[in-house]
Amino acid sequence: MSEFDAIVVGGGPAGASAAIKLAQNNMNVLLVERGDPPGSKNVSGGVLWGTGLGELSDDWEKTAPLERYLESKSVAFLTEKSKINIDFSTKNFEEQKTGYTVLRAKLDPWLVKKAREAGAMVVTGVTVDRLSKKDGKVVGVIQDGDEITADAVILAEGANPRVAIDSGLREPLKDHDVAIGVKEVIKLPEKTINERFNLRGKAGYACEYVLGFLKDGVEAGGFLYTNKDSISIGAVISMKHLRQSNQVYSFDIMEEFASHPFIAPLLEEGRVDEYSAHLVQEGGLSSIPKLYGDGYMIAGDAAGFSFSNGLVLQGMNYAISSGISAAEALVEAKQKSDFSSASLSRYQQKLEESYVMKDMRTFKGIENVTWSKMIHKTFPSMLENVMMGLFKEEGKPKKHMMQLVLDSMSSSKIKSKDMLLQGYRMLRRM
Amino acid sequence: MKIEERLSLLNYKTDKSYEHITVNPNICEECPDHFCTFACPAKCYTIIEGKLNFKYEDCVECGTCAVACSHGSVSWTNTKGGHGVKYKYG
Amino acid sequence: MVLDIIVMIKQVPDAEEIFIDPVKFTLNRSQARGVINPADENALEAALMIKDKTPAKITVITMGPPAAESALLECMGRGADRGILITDRAFAAADTYATSLTLAAAVKKIGRFDLILAGESTTDSGTGHVGPGVAEFMQADQVTYSTSVKIEGDTIIAERELEHGIEVVQTPMPALVTMLINANIPRRSSLRRRIDAMRKGIETMDHESLGLPPEWVGIKGSPTIVGSLKIPEEKKRLNKTITLEEIPEMVKELIENKAIVLGDDEDA
Repeated sequence: MSEFDAIVVGGGPAGASAAIKLAQNNMNVLLVERGDPPGSKNVSGGVLWGTGLGELSDDWEKTAPLERYLESKSVAFLTEKSKINIDFSTKNFEEQKTGYTVLRAKLDPWLVKKAREAGAMVVTGVTVDRLSKKDGKVVGVIQDGDEITADAVILAEGANPRVAIDSGLREPLKDHDVAIGVKEVIKLPEKTINERFNLRGKAGYACEYVLGFLKDGVEAGGFLYTNKDSISIGAVISMKHLRQSNQVYSFDIMEEFASHPFIAPLLEEGRVDEYSAHLVQEGGLSSIPKLYGDGYMIAGDAAGFSFSNGLVLQGMNYAISSGISAAEALVEAKQKSDFSSASLSRYQQKLEESYVMKDMRTFKGIENVTWSKMIHKTFPSMLENVMMGLFKEEGKPKKHMMQLVLDSMSSSKIKSKDMLLQGYRMLRRM
Repeated sequence: MKIEERLSLLNYKTDKSYEHITVNPNICEECPDHFCTFACPAKCYTIIEGKLNFKYEDCVECGTCAVACSHGSVSWTNTKGGHGVKYKYG
Repeated sequence: MVLDIIVMIKQVPDAEEIFIDPVKFTLNRSQARGVINPADENALEAALMIKDKTPAKITVITMGPPAAESALLECMGRGADRGILITDRAFAAADTYATSLTLAAAVKKIGRFDLILAGESTTDSGTGHVGPGVAEFMQADQVTYSTSVKIEGDTIIAERELEHGIEVVQTPMPALVTMLINANIPRRSSLRRRIDAMRKGIETMDHESLGLPPEWVGIKGSPTIVGSLKIPEEKKRLNKTITLEEIPEMVKELIENKAIVLGDDEDA
C-alpha cells in the first residue's frame, strides 16, 4: 500500500496544475517543490497564453496574479542601426482572453496555494533526490535516504529535469534541445509604461525580436513584455551557435540587446531590479522523451513541451494542459488500480487529442527554421537594404521595390531560388 | 550594466555545506575550448592565470553548464533545502 | 531522562529583500518574503545538536501571524518535535517587553523546561531584548551571545563570543541561552519529517489560553514609545584614486578631518 496516490515533483504550472486536478478528484497527493517559496527558482519569458488557469480555478481572473492582458503584439528585426517592426494591436485579444503577462515568483505561489486549498499536501524548500524504483517500476521518491511511496509519480521539474535525467527517463540535454534564456526585470512607473507603449489600464504589450546585430554567427531572439510596473526583457540564445563562436559571452548579449538604439529608449529611467537566467526548451518534437512508463509520467518543460516559431514563445500553456492531462490519466488509472505503463498511456492519448501534441507535430522541425542564418542575418539586413532604398533620396531615379529586393539579394549573395525555397519552408512550418 | 552588478541584485541563500555543482580540474586543465566560460550566464566559470576557476555561490541553477560542457567535467545536481538563488520576480 | 528544550523563533522579512525607498527614505518591506530569523535557525540547530547526543524533546514556539505556521513546519522538518504558534490579533504591535511577557506565559503553559534557546537578536528589530526578557520573567539563568552550547550533567556549558575573546560559562539548568548568528550551520529539513509534521500539525495559543488579560499584551501592554525616527545622513564617498606617493598626504588629511583617530580604542 502506497503512502500517497501521487507524488508530483515540481510546483510550477505543470506540477501545480496536476496537483490541483488530482486533489480536486479526491486523490491523496503530495506536491514537492524545491524552491522556497514556490516560483523563486523559476523564470519565464512572461506571457501565459490562453485560459488554462480557468480549468483550475473559477476565480482565476479575479485572484491570479496576472500583470497585464495582451493587447499589442509585435515582431521586430533588429540590425545594428535599424528596426523593422510588424505591429498587431487588437481589442479582440482582451475579449478572447488571448494572453497575459505574468511573473513566476508571483504566479507559482498562487498556483501552489490553489493546490493546497484543493487538498494537496504541499512541501516547499525540499529537493527530491531521485526516484524510488522496484522491479523496474517507479514506486515513489527518495529524499535524504527516506523513501516516500506513491502509486505514481508525475515529474514536472521544468527545463532542467535532473531527476528524470538521473533516473534514465530522459536523455541528458544536448545543444539541440535547449537555448540559454537571460532576462532582466526593469522597474518603471505604471504611468510611464502606459505612455511609452501606448497602453491604457491593464492592457499590455509584447514583442519578439530577431537580434540580427549579433556578431560572430551567434543567433538569439529577444523578447520584451510589459508587466504592471516593470518590463521583462531578455534574450534566448542558441547553444549551438554560441558554441560554434566560442567568443561571445551569453550575459553580454543581454547587455547588447538592452543598449540597442531602439531598445534603450524604451527602458530609459528604469531601474534593473532583477537579472535571471534559465534554460529554454527549444528542441520541439525531436526533444520530447517517452512521456510515461510504469508508475510515472513527465509533464511541462521537463517533457520538452515548449514552442517557439519566432512570432510567439509558448510553454506555460502546455505545462498547464499537460499537467491536467497527466492528472486525468492518473485518476482513471486509480479507478482501475492499474498504474502500469499500459494504463498510463492514456496520458499520451490525451495529449495527442489535445492541442499540446498536435502543436508539437504541426510545428515539427520549426526549430531548424527559426535558428538559421537566413532568419537571423540575411533576412534582417535584406529588409534594411530594401527599406533604405525605398526612403533614401539620393537625387537618382528610384527603383521598383522588386528591383530593390533583387539588388539586396544579389549583394547578400542569395539566389532567388534559395530565397523562395526558404520562404516556402518557413511558411510551411510556421 | 556589468554582469557583476546584475548578480549583485540577486538574493541567494548560500548552502555552506553543499556545493551542488562540481567540476573535475583534471578534465578542465586539458579542455581545448572552455565553452563554459562563455555559456554560463552568471559568470561562474572564469579563467584565472590560465586555469579554470568555478564558484558555485553565484550560480542561478539554470543548468546551462551541464549542457555546455561536452567533456564530462561538470557534475550537476539541484541545490538542496531551499538554498541557492531566490528570484523575487522570475 | 529526556531533556525538554524550547526554541523561540520569529519569522522576519527576508533582509535581502528589504530596500530603502529612494523617494520616501523609508524601509520598504512590501516585497520581502518571510523567512526564519537567521540567528533563530542557529538556536534551533544548537538544540538539534544537543538532541543528536542526548535524548531530548524540542518544542519550537513563535509569536506571529498565522502565516508563521510555515516557519514552524520547517523547524519540525529539521527535527523539532512540536510546534506552537502563539497568535492573536491582541498581540499586534507588541514591543519587546510585551513580547517577552507573552512568550514567558507560553513557556509556563508548556510546563517544565531544561533549556530555552533563542536567536541573540532579530534582523528586523535587532534589540536583543526578547531572550533575556523571557529569562527574567522565568527567573532562569541566562547566557547571551553564545556560539555553542553543550550539556554536562545538570548544567550547560556555553561559549560566549566577546570582543576580546571567548568566555566559557557553566550554569545549572533550567537556563536560557541566546545564540549568535552564524554560530553553526543549520541542517536542512527532510521530506519525511516535513510530511510527518504536516500530519501532526501545529498547536496554537492565544491570550485567553495563556491567561493573559488583553491590556497586558500587544500595543496596550507595551510601555515603549517611539519618539521619532531619523535616517542617518549618508556619508559621501570621495571615489578618489590615489597614487602611492599621495598616501602620506591623504592619511594626514584623514587625521585632520578626524576620519582616523590615533591611539588604541581604549583611549579614544
